[in-house]
Amino acid sequence: MSTTFDLAIIGGGPAGYVAAERAGQKGLKVVLIEKGELGGVCLNEGCIPTKTLLYSAKLYDNALGSSKYGVDTKEVTFDFSKMMARKQKVVKKLVGGVGMKMKEHHVEVIKSAAFIKGRSAAGIEITAGDTEILATNLLICTGSEAFLPPIPGLGAPGELILTNREILELKERPDSLVIIGGGVIGLEFASFFNSLGTKVTIIEMLDEILTGMDLEMSTMLRQMYTKKGITFNISAKVTEVKGNEVFFEKNGKKESITGEKILVSVGRKANTAGFGLENIGVELYRGGIKVDEKMRTNVPNVFAAGDVTGFSLLAHTASREGEVVVNNLTGRADRMRYNAIPGVVYTNPEFSGVGYTEESAKAQNIEYRVAKLPMAFAGRFIAENEGGSGLCKVLVGAKYGEVIGVHMLGNPSGEIIYGASMAIEMEMTLKEMEEVVFPHPTVSEIFKETIFSF
Amino acid sequence: MATVVIMPKQGQSVESCIITEWNKKKGDQVTKGEILFAYETDKASFEEEAAVDGILLELFYEAGDEVPVLTNVCVIGAAGESADAYRPGGTAAKSVESSETIVKKETTTAKTEELAIKTVIQEAGTGAISPRAKILADKEGILTAGLSGTGPKGRIIEQDVLAVIACNPKTTPLAKKIAGKEQLQPASTGSGLGGSVTAKDLTTPNPVYSNDFEIKKLSNMRKMIAKAMLNSLQNSAQLTHHLGADARRMLELRRKVKKANDNGYPVNITINDMVCFAVVKALRKFPQANGHFLGDSVKYFNKIHLGVAVDTDRGLMVPAIRNADDLSIQGLSNQMREIAVSCRKGAINPELLSSEAASFTVSNLGNYGVEMFTPVINLPQVGILGVNTIVPRPKDLGDGVYGFVPFIGLSLTYDHQALDGGEATRFLKQIAIEIENLEFEL
Repeated sequence: MSTTFDLAIIGGGPAGYVAAERAGQKGLKVVLIEKGELGGVCLNEGCIPTKTLLYSAKLYDNALGSSKYGVDTKEVTFDFSKMMARKQKVVKKLVGGVGMKMKEHHVEVIKSAAFIKGRSAAGIEITAGDTEILATNLLICTGSEAFLPPIPGLGAPGELILTNREILELKERPDSLVIIGGGVIGLEFASFFNSLGTKVTIIEMLDEILTGMDLEMSTMLRQMYTKKGITFNISAKVTEVKGNEVFFEKNGKKESITGEKILVSVGRKANTAGFGLENIGVELYRGGIKVDEKMRTNVPNVFAAGDVTGFSLLAHTASREGEVVVNNLTGRADRMRYNAIPGVVYTNPEFSGVGYTEESAKAQNIEYRVAKLPMAFAGRFIAENEGGSGLCKVLVGAKYGEVIGVHMLGNPSGEIIYGASMAIEMEMTLKEMEEVVFPHPTVSEIFKETIFSF
Repeated sequence: MATVVIMPKQGQSVESCIITEWNKKKGDQVTKGEILFAYETDKASFEEEAAVDGILLELFYEAGDEVPVLTNVCVIGAAGESADAYRPGGTAAKSVESSETIVKKETTTAKTEELAIKTVIQEAGTGAISPRAKILADKEGILTAGLSGTGPKGRIIEQDVLAVIACNPKTTPLAKKIAGKEQLQPASTGSGLGGSVTAKDLTTPNPVYSNDFEIKKLSNMRKMIAKAMLNSLQNSAQLTHHLGADARRMLELRRKVKKANDNGYPVNITINDMVCFAVVKALRKFPQANGHFLGDSVKYFNKIHLGVAVDTDRGLMVPAIRNADDLSIQGLSNQMREIAVSCRKGAINPELLSSEAASFTVSNLGNYGVEMFTPVINLPQVGILGVNTIVPRPKDLGDGVYGFVPFIGLSLTYDHQALDGGEATRFLKQIAIEIENLEFEL
């Protein structure tokens, strides 16, 4: 005898648990199936633990540099294991919080792997442990995992080869770290270990780190970190891994570098296998589940949200996608928009962006005007960033002056960028933006200053 | 004093209209109230009436032209008056604002604007407004001038203002700017934040559900076909008889034509030409099928005007070949070809497209492999012949020998009001006989 639900959700990450919470709030009978811990990669081995560690590193950096601000500290030291322990505490607290929310909204949580058995007129049949589930609707949020490229000699993740998962379980700070892949994950770990004195080398295949972010600022950030001691090998292709040694080709020359640990962060792949997706005939596209703008798959009543779709692999994208599903299920016409999804790289300084970059606008033949100002045009930035530099760049449509892209390098741009997302979502033009009052003195004023420099 | 007729502005978003038909020619005497021309927007069709008596001095545009709204279209005046001063683009050309005497009349096919905002400027209300409505309108920045109220004597009451607010879409600043500049009408909901209308939505039909379907307004032609088809099925007693004709003779003739054609013979007579030729011959013998059923009388034609269904990009057209009974098969073949070409080009004389122009119609779907169908009568005609594909069928060849013989399918739809089954069957049989015994010289 199976239990019936209005909505079954496979995967308790930011797509799944947010959708479960919203659906529960709206009175749907919801089951959330998660084989690991609630919170998914984001809470357990992604966003949250890394930000916790990066904050420790930032405090350490600030303490070391405090004399510039007239504060003398003696013998600044750090305790790696304490940092890791605190990270664990933060994760535990947040995961527990998600569990509480599920209870609060009457979501049944099953801690087990799920398997989709089939689909009939009555609904979708799913097995989760000992429970047989018959669901009217199914939301698949099985997420993604680190992609391991087929590099000769590259072994499975473990002691030496690390992904985002293993590196967060390190007991000791490595003396040297080679990072294959200069994307967001690579850069954040590079930043953390660089602060702690590890010798970090990044090998990136493309011409610049952080593909997809503003090119000019990516270059600025790379130069900042070069000064801080990270070695960057861009346009470099890893050809082989032999034990601790990573071989790569750069400008036609073969080079190699040795690291105590090797972090692989070249991308992620959607989890689409092993849970019976094929039993209901869900169509895939470029490795992810194919969805439309309402997150519907090709199979009626089956939806997908989050990394499993294979694009815009961000926790906040995932949550919003989950919400779109629930809204449409509960009678509110909604659809996913990807034009104003902010991205933040939590390096020190933070690097944030939303909307078109100059590069993507050019690629799509969008006529734009651009204005940029050094972050130092904001009083609070100068007050708090002794000797620091940064940049704010705003892109507007050439004809009507609507905000289409905003990019910032500097702290705390990650907390400011949502304002730009709103401007883009609301299609505000320079005229409306000029009427918005920004608090003074804040770093956010740089946005306003840049608007006025058009 | 000459009176200029301008293209009326039908709705806020309309920038130009297409003149679909002129009912008057240059030099015609027109009287007030007579229809001068018909025109359409992408949404509806309208007719423009003469506001004054006089001579139609000049037409500045022809049927099919797209005319910007408020542009001078024609001039009515006294004989001998010059209309040059009103020619659009000329120095004296000026949109005459004194057009309030020109009465606009929407035809029954016209549909109201999508947004049922009650701001019909032409029929302004009395201007009276309730205090509550006034306060709300002022607060929300709603212009009440021209708003027709639903209160007593057209008084504007609160709910009228609320209705306008409900119809006013939430529109992003960018979408507002573009809509203003490019004269676009925002939809009531869009794909943006909380259903707001974004710039992209302005040019996307039905933005919220664009993924599911798209709503397109019918073209004028589609509307006419729809109306005619429905009318036919609702207002006649039509039914269809199917019969096959031995096509061996026709196929033999076709082979000869092809061969002659290869040797330089100028006319490529097709199977369809031959069937039509046979139909004309049969109609001569069955005049009761060559007519129009008019309710209380039947109009029998002395001549045969053969309607031919032509499939075009814009839709079905059924032009008539006048006096088809005077034509040789070569003449018929040539005319069929010419008329099909001009239909596809859109250059066909509209008079030939009228259902009254033909006395009987042939519709051939044989090319597409259709084996049997029930063509719809082009009222008021009495019948229509559907021509099907040629299929091999067993036939008694005599002496107990059966062989497969090519048969062409014939589907005759007739109006039982005008013809009885026996007559119709005999007529259909006659067509088959004509096909089986077809003869012509090359």
